[in-house]
Amino acid sequence: MNEKEAPEKAGTGSSGSPSTGRREAESSRRPSFTLGLVLKLLFLAAVNGLLLAGLPAMLEQEWWSGLVVVVIATALIDWAFLTKRSLPAKYLIPGTIFALLFQIVPILYSGYVSVTNFSISHRLTQDQVIDQLSRRTSNVQGATRYQLTILGNESGDLAFFLIDEADMPYLGTAEGLEGLTEDRIITDADGRVTAVDEFAALGIGEVSDRQAELADFAVPLEQGGIRATTINSAAAYQPLYIHEDSTGNMVDIETGTVYMPVDGRFTSSDGENLGPGWRVFVGLDNFSRVFTSEAIRGPFMRVLIWNYVFAIGSVALTFAVGLGLALALNHPGMRGQKVYRALLIIPYALPSFMTALLWAGMLNQQFGVINDILNADIPWLRDPTIAKASILLVNTWLGFPYMFLISTGALQAIPGELKEASWVDGASPWQGFRAITFPMLMVALAPLLIASFAFNFNNFNIVYLLTQGRPAIEGAATPAGHTDILISYTYRLAFESGSGADWGFASAISILIFVMVATISAISFRQTRALEEVWN
Amino acid sequence: MTSVPQSRPVKSSARSRAVTGRVIGGRNPLLHWVRSTGWRHLVAWIALVFALFPVVWVISASFNPLQTLTSQQLIPSTFTFDNYTELLFGDVPYVDWYINTLLIAGGASLLITFLSALAAYAFSRMRFKGRRVGLLTVLLIQMFPQTLAFVAIFLIMVQISDVFPAAGLGTRLGLFLVYLGGALGVNTWLMKGFFDTIPRELDESAWVDGASHNQVFFRIILPLVAPILAVVFVLSFIFLINDFVLASAVLGQGDPANFTLSIGLFQYLGDQFNQRWGPFAAGALMAGVPVVIIFLFLQKYIVSGLTQGAVKG
Repeated sequence: MNEKEAPEKAGTGSSGSPSTGRREAESSRRPSFTLGLVLKLLFLAAVNGLLLAGLPAMLEQEWWSGLVVVVIATALIDWAFLTKRSLPAKYLIPGTIFALLFQIVPILYSGYVSVTNFSISHRLTQDQVIDQLSRRTSNVQGATRYQLTILGNESGDLAFFLIDEADMPYLGTAEGLEGLTEDRIITDADGRVTAVDEFAALGIGEVSDRQAELADFAVPLEQGGIRATTINSAAAYQPLYIHEDSTGNMVDIETGTVYMPVDGRFTSSDGENLGPGWRVFVGLDNFSRVFTSEAIRGPFMRVLIWNYVFAIGSVALTFAVGLGLALALNHPGMRGQKVYRALLIIPYALPSFMTALLWAGMLNQQFGVINDILNADIPWLRDPTIAKASILLVNTWLGFPYMFLISTGALQAIPGELKEASWVDGASPWQGFRAITFPMLMVALAPLLIASFAFNFNNFNIVYLLTQGRPAIEGAATPAGHTDILISYTYRLAFESGSGADWGFASAISILIFVMVATISAISFRQTRALEEVWN
Repeated sequence: MTSVPQSRPVKSSARSRAVTGRVIGGRNPLLHWVRSTGWRHLVAWIALVFALFPVVWVISASFNPLQTLTSQQLIPSTFTFDNYTELLFGDVPYVDWYINTLLIAGGASLLITFLSALAAYAFSRMRFKGRRVGLLTVLLIQMFPQTLAFVAIFLIMVQISDVFPAAGLGTRLGLFLVYLGGALGVNTWLMKGFFDTIPRELDESAWVDGASHNQVFFRIILPLVAPILAVVFVLSFIFLINDFVLASAVLGQGDPANFTLSIGLFQYLGDQFNQRWGPFAAGALMAGVPVVIIFLFLQKYIVSGLTQGAVKG
């Protein structure tokens, strides 16, 4: 098929010119033409509607990056399905949209977050922080207290009927406070106020229904305002801080202390902070912290080294056990090979999250079956060195069947004549294996071993579900454990409570992992023909 | 190896006969059997004990009446389904987790397979501007696994919650969509390789008969590539039910009833190994056995897929 031909045939059929050979197919295509078009339009309308439904909220929250991504995604979909010029796009766009939204964007976003101080205590924008601080109020000392009756009119506005300490009546609305004359107040037989102008008193039930609304409602005064303190009392309040637009500082109204924006926090000259902080760009600080701060660098280097030891050790051990078994069981005269193989694959076939938890129970120091059988009290998962060995043991259990399978496959692909020939030449079995079998195996298996290394490099489940990275490294500034690998370390940085959920720093670490994984992948691509396929 | 000692050829011919399983000379056949195949069975048995001990043990734990680790015996003195009923009908939302996992991982795997097949079809059958860039991009995407961006995914989901609450943090739909983000990548390559082996003459003859692109794809290509569809589906499914990081990032802080099995069972077990061991074992088996069965049935396909894609290992 060539490019010219494609668009014509891609169409919904309108431009297809029926020729002699096509008549049958054409007739079977025609009924689906209109139906197909309707379905397509419905589908497009649904997708467009769904994606664009979020736009108002995005505008309101000024989430521009999200807005751009959604608009691009919508445009791509429409372009692919509404024009006839883009046949390959129809097939590529659906997967690409998801890859864009949930893979490419997150990776780019990781890069962005890694150069900010984004964390649980710095998760707002500066405007949001100013807004939050400006809303902080104190009841004015010795301020007027009021008796309150909560009112509402037919259009749903709230109002306060207030009586101050001098028994003067007021009406407080969202516009402000005004003095009242008796004729505007309507009372019932018991002297209770039932209405003021068009506002009627709210019943208890109505008041409790509109609690959230009431909490936000205030009668504005020149400075501060009047808020309900209980259902039948109100008091004047005053803001604690005021934002100076000219300098960008926050000023404490009562004491006059000036808080300046420093590193994403309002800080006074004597170093006092106003929480919360906001997100600021910190350049490469998160990366340099890894290498300059002693309390981070030490544990980080341990995690990094163990990460490599773990990945290389896992590949080496699983491969050694798997290959050994394959050599032992790959024997023409041996009975029961199929049964053995089927049973030996089971550890690999079980979901790994489950087997990791299973082993965590078996290796439990107090209650685990291993210590029970050995009648010992070995801290399998608590001692730094033993825990590492345990993780390798469990990962060997989990991974050897895979190596066994691929080694068996590769062994069977080696022609028997080669072995025979080596015997005839007088080579011992060991020589034959070393000089002939093993090199040939490696040709076939090297890419798979690299892939296995790459997989284990980020084998989060086995580490986190067995030990959660514990035992902890003493003196570490961040939550780092002796058995942590980089990805479990990142996970703990981002989600474990107590550490302050430092997303900026966690993203910086994940960027470092990306770099390492990309390097491994680049090496493995050189081993495979993948790149050649791109150019052919 | 050029200078061959005199005795060698004799020895090696004996060995090569042994390899084919014939008995030499008749002298002490038992010793010969041990040396040629007997030790292999011994190795196999040792490996079996290593491989199956934990499995046998978890089966035993699931039927053990005492729900604790300490008092467990390999062969329970009494046999009970209490652990199973506790999990299925007790307070733990295990059934929810099970259904969530099937829906999210199963549904996402189905769609991943479909999206990947669409892309592979375009890459395999069409020549267009940007094809190389596209293939290279797919290759690059593979170099940056989605899982590693979990912090960013979490933060994005927080923001999505404000805009599309139905697909935001803590929702199953959110996790489902995140999983679809991994559709292109290894799978696409695997499929493209398989698509390339289907002779083009087949589509071309369909062209001549007037079939549209969609018809060629759905009626001609898809049935022919069914094996690779099965492989990609099963591999994605196994990969997704094992996912802990993304599930935890998206669902971890939400309603436990929305959990998948991996994060659900992890949180259930928590630090209470001793008290919750029996039900955990039962839950693990109910989750694991179907996967093992699928795996054993499709083993041949899965292994061939793995050796080309190496997604699990």
